[in-house]
Amino acid sequence: MKRVIDMLCVFRIHLARLRAEAGPFVLAALVFPTAMYLFAIAVSGSDQVSDERRIRFLAGSIVFSLSMTSISWLGYLLLENRFTGRLKLFATLPLAPSSYVFGIVIFALAQAAIGTATLLISGYVMGVHVHVNFAALAVVVLLTMLCLCGISVIVAARSRSFSEGSLLTDSLGAGLVFLAPVYYSPQATPGGLRQLSAWLPTTFAARAIQASLAGRSQVATDLLVLSLMAAVTLMLGFRAMAWRED
Amino acid sequence: MNDKSLLVLNHSSSVQSSAQQSAASPTAVRVRGLKKRYKDGTAANRGIDFDVKTGEVVSILGPNGAGKTTFLRQLTTELRPTSGSIEIFGVNAIAEPERVKQMMGITPQEAGLFQTLTVREHLELFARFKGLSKQQARLAAFDTRDELGLSAESGKRVGLLSGGQRRRILIGLALLGCPRLLVLDEPTTGLDPASRHSVWQVIRRVVADGATVVFSTHYIEEAEQLSDRIGIISEGRLVACDSLDRLFTRLEQSYRLEYSDPFDPFGEMCVRYFATFAEAQDEIAREQLSEYSIARASLEDIYFTLTGERPPSRNTEGSE
Repeated sequence: MKRVIDMLCVFRIHLARLRAEAGPFVLAALVFPTAMYLFAIAVSGSDQVSDERRIRFLAGSIVFSLSMTSISWLGYLLLENRFTGRLKLFATLPLAPSSYVFGIVIFALAQAAIGTATLLISGYVMGVHVHVNFAALAVVVLLTMLCLCGISVIVAARSRSFSEGSLLTDSLGAGLVFLAPVYYSPQATPGGLRQLSAWLPTTFAARAIQASLAGRSQVATDLLVLSLMAAVTLMLGFRAMAWRED
Repeated sequence: MNDKSLLVLNHSSSVQSSAQQSAASPTAVRVRGLKKRYKDGTAANRGIDFDVKTGEVVSILGPNGAGKTTFLRQLTTELRPTSGSIEIFGVNAIAEPERVKQMMGITPQEAGLFQTLTVREHLELFARFKGLSKQQARLAAFDTRDELGLSAESGKRVGLLSGGQRRRILIGLALLGCPRLLVLDEPTTGLDPASRHSVWQVIRRVVADGATVVFSTHYIEEAEQLSDRIGIISEGRLVACDSLDRLFTRLEQSYRLEYSDPFDPFGEMCVRYFATFAEAQDEIAREQLSEYSIARASLEDIYFTLTGERPPSRNTEGSE
């Protein structure tokens, strides 16, 4: 019970931050991904964009939103906590590092839920015909966020300075989306990059989200890989996130 | 009776009551052979043995870079020692940091607060981390903000407060949940005199309630006012840790003659130490001093003697 209360307190502390400074979250989770959706439609090269393509672009924008929320925005918060002495304050408490990380992850999941729901509504308004499998979509979003939050925690815990960490989280937040076949098909990926991008978490996330938006439920393989990736990144994140310095 | 004598009397009674109390009580802190060598090779602590009885107030003095903060950070489990042992109320602090932190209230030297949370939100949420129920957390937050003079700022976001007010919140966070041991790293640095006195009152209150306090400070007056024992760290070693009275016995020359040089009357005041009052008087007669004062040595003198530092803007020497 203590662990649950601890996580909820960490969540509430960061929620207050969102309440006071919603701007960066709105930019990262909604404005940029929506703009990217419109950009992808505009450069797709045909006047009549097929429903399948529209769904791929929407799935891409959802992945973009998740990546920006979990790595860029959340990474920034984690770095700020570490380099402004707030983490030191948490370290003085009878609080397990995992409770701190999970409190932050709950915060990120709440943002992901808001971001994804808003993008789905925006997609509907912009004429994307989807047949959402909500259960599958929820699981994909959850696993994608766990995996990306793990990366964020590792970067924030290992960076030597705020500027180094912030550069890394910004690069990774956008890079993981643009290096993966999120807005385009895997066949369109250059040969050398294809091998790398095939193993990026965003590749699996985009494929699974696209399937969920199309009402398909054949996402088991992608979910399995995302689960493994989430387990590995979170485990590494917990190990990096030690209260005690050497 | 002057202020100083009152101060000494108060201090002695505090030492006495604490001694009586601790005689029957267990050890709160037990440190043995504590060494800390950083990765860059700096030896910050070079083998510290340190005991604090339950209910005692022990202050740690020492020059900048002497190893005070490193020592306290190891005590609070924030920093892993290179070797040695630390026990807090009999619990191994190195092996069970979380259990130990449940018994401690900690104010780090530098820690950041959350700019977007109000004072009340800080106190309530951090009380919850310490295991208090919602109702208890609300009451504890209320009492703490009152005690630290933060009632008027209760609903304000921390980002709008002054540095001194933020420091008081950090102390308040340490007090939540009535911890058995308070470890405060320079708690009153940056506070105005009134705030400093209110923090002293709070420390006295928690000690009266049975808590044990270990704190570091740069203010010698603070150490004198609050402590049962005073530890002095120099170059990573605890060179002394005793009551004020016993620390005085360490000085071979406990009479302090401060005078202006007859050949340089507008220069800095000179200070010399003597073993007896008569020796100091002989010196006055020999040098035909006209402007001088003789006093018993102070904690400041002990500090400078034990750390080997020199007081600023004074020529200091012992008698030959």
